[in-house]
Amino acid sequence: MKAWSVSFNQPVSYQDGLDIQRRILKARQEDRIPDTVLLLQHQPVVTLGNRGRDNYLLKTKEEYTAMGIDLFRAERGGDVTFHGPGQWVIYPIMHLGGSDAGSHGYLFNLEEIALRTLADYGIEGFRRECKSGAWTDAGKIAAIGFRLKKWVSFHGMSFNVSNDLTGFGTIVPCGLEGEPVASLKTILADACPAMEPVGDSLLNHFAKVCKRDLERFDLAGEMPAELAELIRDE
Amino acid sequence: MAVPQDLFYAKTHEWVSLNEGIATIGITDFAQSQLSDLTFVELPEVGATFSAGDEVAVVESVKAAADVYAPVAGEVIEVNSELEDSPELINKDSFGAGWLFKLKVVKESEVDNLLDAESYEELCPPE
Repeated sequence: MKAWSVSFNQPVSYQDGLDIQRRILKARQEDRIPDTVLLLQHQPVVTLGNRGRDNYLLKTKEEYTAMGIDLFRAERGGDVTFHGPGQWVIYPIMHLGGSDAGSHGYLFNLEEIALRTLADYGIEGFRRECKSGAWTDAGKIAAIGFRLKKWVSFHGMSFNVSNDLTGFGTIVPCGLEGEPVASLKTILADACPAMEPVGDSLLNHFAKVCKRDLERFDLAGEMPAELAELIRDE
Repeated sequence: MAVPQDLFYAKTHEWVSLNEGIATIGITDFAQSQLSDLTFVELPEVGATFSAGDEVAVVESVKAAADVYAPVAGEVIEVNSELEDSPELINKDSFGAGWLFKLKVVKESEVDNLLDAESYEELCPPE
């Protein structure tokens, strides 16, 4: 099945990312566009899930502001997390309620994308029972939280590449106390790849795992007019 | 995957059992299986009224939250309060003990807009 991806080369504010997702979500629900996956980095932000608990925030709103970190309550599932430059976020806006729904389920597929991306860089990742996401011996490297509206997904998964992990020190990530957070950089040190190839890996594995024939666009380049309108809000 | 023959189905994976003007509504076995282990259900207030297609409830698993829609218009007359402590009933028995809410329907003929079991099955992935 055909799908589109859009890669963003500059970090996007959480609010802008949310606005873009909501426009694409609506267009997808109305079948005006195919499944579309966004690949982007966020400006520093702490987000709580729909039922995320405030006690997993270790700073006050004022302290976050002083640190240059935005704070959002998002409508996604999952608990609290941190996003910032150097971390890829993938937001697949996909119709999941049809006859092509994967037998393993969407959560499994997102984890699989992260695990296969890790394998591309020689890192063994694994799942942990009752602790969703992708894990390595050094800690959790990919976090998941999504929402379905009319069985179209939005929000998705973050994958730590070379981001400053100190932001995670201001929260209890996913509400899991005492669990370390890892990135490709903490594992591979000087051998850590650049952002672009890791983004390519994530999209390659998205296409294979979710069985989508991906037509790729990036923000700076040409894209179908109906997509450009949704992305750029022209 | 089990799809009871005597129910009506919405494309958004809710089921409806209509009995003397009262619609009992839940999510299907396919829906619960896609969401995996549910941990929380946000149910509507008794007395609230909805049109067909309105967001009525939210079901949540550890990493996912999904909206549930009113398949037909009506007033909420009862919610399944057992789900507050035991949302896993939806996973265990989505067509029975895992029902979500009951609506006093405005127009019974609205169920004609819904799918029968056979058409709904075609919507779901093959086994």
